[in-house]
Amino acid sequence: MKCEEVETKMIDYLDKNLEDSVCREIDLHLETCERCLDELRDTQKVLNFMSKDEMVKPDDSLRINFYHMLHSQLKKSEDTHASTIRKSSPPWYSFSGYRIAAGIALLVCGTFIGLLIKSSLSNSYASNELKQLHSEVSDLKKATMFTMLKEESSSDRIQAVSYAGDLDNADENVIEVLVKTLNNDKNVNVRMAAAYALSKFAGQRYVCDSLVKSLSLQSDPILQVTLINILAERKEKSALRTIQEIIANKSTLKEVRAVAENSLRVLI
Amino acid sequence: MADIPDEVIMQRVKDGNLAEMSVLFERYHLRLYNFFLKLTRNRDISQDLTQNLFYRMIKYKNSYKNEFSVKSWIYQMARNLHIDYCKEEKRTDELFLKTDSYPTDITDDSSGFPEEDYERLEHAFSALSIEQKEIIVLSRYQGLKYEEISPIVNQSVPAIKVAMHRAIKRLRSIYFKQI
Repeated sequence: MKCEEVETKMIDYLDKNLEDSVCREIDLHLETCERCLDELRDTQKVLNFMSKDEMVKPDDSLRINFYHMLHSQLKKSEDTHASTIRKSSPPWYSFSGYRIAAGIALLVCGTFIGLLIKSSLSNSYASNELKQLHSEVSDLKKATMFTMLKEESSSDRIQAVSYAGDLDNADENVIEVLVKTLNNDKNVNVRMAAAYALSKFAGQRYVCDSLVKSLSLQSDPILQVTLINILAERKEKSALRTIQEIIANKSTLKEVRAVAENSLRVLI
Repeated sequence: MADIPDEVIMQRVKDGNLAEMSVLFERYHLRLYNFFLKLTRNRDISQDLTQNLFYRMIKYKNSYKNEFSVKSWIYQMARNLHIDYCKEEKRTDELFLKTDSYPTDITDDSSGFPEEDYERLEHAFSALSIEQKEIIVLSRYQGLKYEEISPIVNQSVPAIKVAMHRAIKRLRSIYFKQI
């Protein structure tokens, strides 16, 4: 074998990707050719360096940003889905979502006109009235949520859950319904939206406990990952035992286990 | 359940189960981040490119054709993203200025070779062309087989072997010239 040929086969030779007969030919050549032997040693050194190289871990923000992005894409796709269904199946007023939206619109218009008249009489009333209007709209949103959660279509239910996430503060009823949705809704995207809506109120002890409890109930990997991330982001130490149980569980998906193990770093 | 193939998961994503993308994220984000990190030598940019890549995977999910492996498809997109990024930057000088001083956590003694050698290799590596860097990163750092690299860089296996040989030869000669 000539030097040129040995040179082109060098990487495969070092990777042990050649047939035995070719290897022997190269061995023979190397016994007599100092130059090729030097090149082989240098190549081996460079390749060794590269194989010892270790992967660098990205910041946690990469994972957090990904799940935020995924969540907003989920919401968007459910919205488009919902609007195409609505466009294609008249009559529009047969959908309770629209009926309720029309109801809100009427009430807002009515109150607003009323406000205009009142404020022209006395300005000091206006701010109080606006506050009242705000709370009335908020009540309506809650009512809308309760109704829409009973809808058959999963996009309606996601919409309902996201109304809850828009509330400044959620009362016991809202929380209870969201927890129920998180644990029992048949659609994984609706459950995931409920998890995100609840995470907004996780400052309340009861909400946080419910999330931890839900984590022990969920078997869907996506939900497990979402909940672990929400709890780890809050550095919620009470989740520690549940997360360790998930790691110990043999049927846990290995991707979920990786996320769970990763979260331990923040929690311990 | 633990070993559902990427292709099955990607098909489910295409069918509208976007949430399943998180499984692919958990499987691939570390390698992809390191793919970008080797090429750009900048943590923030690599983080942005990785983030962007998963966004594109969702946005262009329908461009995934079942007859290809998901792995090749992902790396193809990663490669395109990096090329776009280079075009945008264009000024290689500026690129060099943006380079992080290399993270110390991977150059300590436990990684098996002294920091000096490591930096010298990085320096030699930065002198290669983009195409040469790509195949070295895919083959030696990411551990892909030539057959897997072929559809990513759109070249035949023998052509990749030749390119690989030239790239390593160049890297070797720059590296040992510095001593």
